[in-house]
Amino acid sequence: MRYSSLLVTALLLFSACSAEQAPLVASDVVVARPVSGMQMSAGYLTLSNNTANTITIDRVASPEFESVAMHESVLDNGISRMYPLDTVSIPAGKSVQFKPGGKHLMLMRPTGDVDSATLEFYAGDALLLTVDATMSD
Amino acid sequence: MGSRNIFIAIVAVVAIGTGAWLSALVMAPAPVPNTATVLPVPGDLAEFSLVDQDGSAIGRDVFRDHWSLVFFGFTHCPDICPLTLQVLANARQQLAEAGQQPLPRIVLVSVDPERDTPEVMKKYVGYFGDDIVGITGELDEMRKLTNGLGIFFEKSRLDGENYSVDHSAVVIVMNPDGQFQALFGAPHEAANFVHDLPIIMSSQ
Repeated sequence: MRYSSLLVTALLLFSACSAEQAPLVASDVVVARPVSGMQMSAGYLTLSNNTANTITIDRVASPEFESVAMHESVLDNGISRMYPLDTVSIPAGKSVQFKPGGKHLMLMRPTGDVDSATLEFYAGDALLLTVDATMSD
Repeated sequence: MGSRNIFIAIVAVVAIGTGAWLSALVMAPAPVPNTATVLPVPGDLAEFSLVDQDGSAIGRDVFRDHWSLVFFGFTHCPDICPLTLQVLANARQQLAEAGQQPLPRIVLVSVDPERDTPEVMKKYVGYFGDDIVGITGELDEMRKLTNGLGIFFEKSRLDGENYSVDHSAVVIVMNPDGQFQALFGAPHEAANFVHDLPIIMSSQ
């Protein structure tokens, strides 16, 4: 019994490792469908850096939106503020969360009535990661 | 034991029992809100002249005859504002399922009246529920409402022509007399509203 549990654990660990071989991995991806008539929406996800070096994202784009920006909502002495982020760095072996009330992608001016969006993460001219997301209500 | 003694014994037992019950009633601490701050004396609002999401003229009487949860935000806010409206709608749904009567009404007051026309507000609040009220109008009149409730807001430049609006993140509870009764500080969680609102609403 104990051996079979160990075997299952080892298999899970192995499969988890092999699934995360890519240098930059996205998980928990949520892109909210724009509220009817609104020109913007928010995107959330977790970016995990599987390399030994810091990865710095300095641009995000999406064919389904005219403009994508990285922003951060901050609660500052009871005041809700939103700041643009020029870059987001993910330290070696660590993850950074884009989540409601924190860092988020601000997706502006949808190019049409879309049900899904492709998010492209860049460092300079290098396209590091492409993520396909279904719009959620 | 004669019938007279039995009568006296019964009276004594009933008297002791009633006394114990009354003292328990008086001594039991009244439930208190976990997170909300209740004003010692509810505050009256100064008059203002704004519009709702249908473009109908409204003043301070818009808050009369309802308990209201008042949140300040704007429709070009992709993160915190939808999140807060969802928390409030979720709390209201939980209160409804628990049989709470009356249910508080949700009111979104725009801190970006320049972009939030009644038409825009109508689409926006309609997305989050059928009975959410949106308030917008002229900036000067909006300041009369927000100043009276201690709400701060100011534009902040994002990039190019885009701007955001920094704003107080509190949710204010207005009582059916149209008075400022209590407030919830951010960050907001539905459970806090579900616990505290029935206490606040029964205390008036």
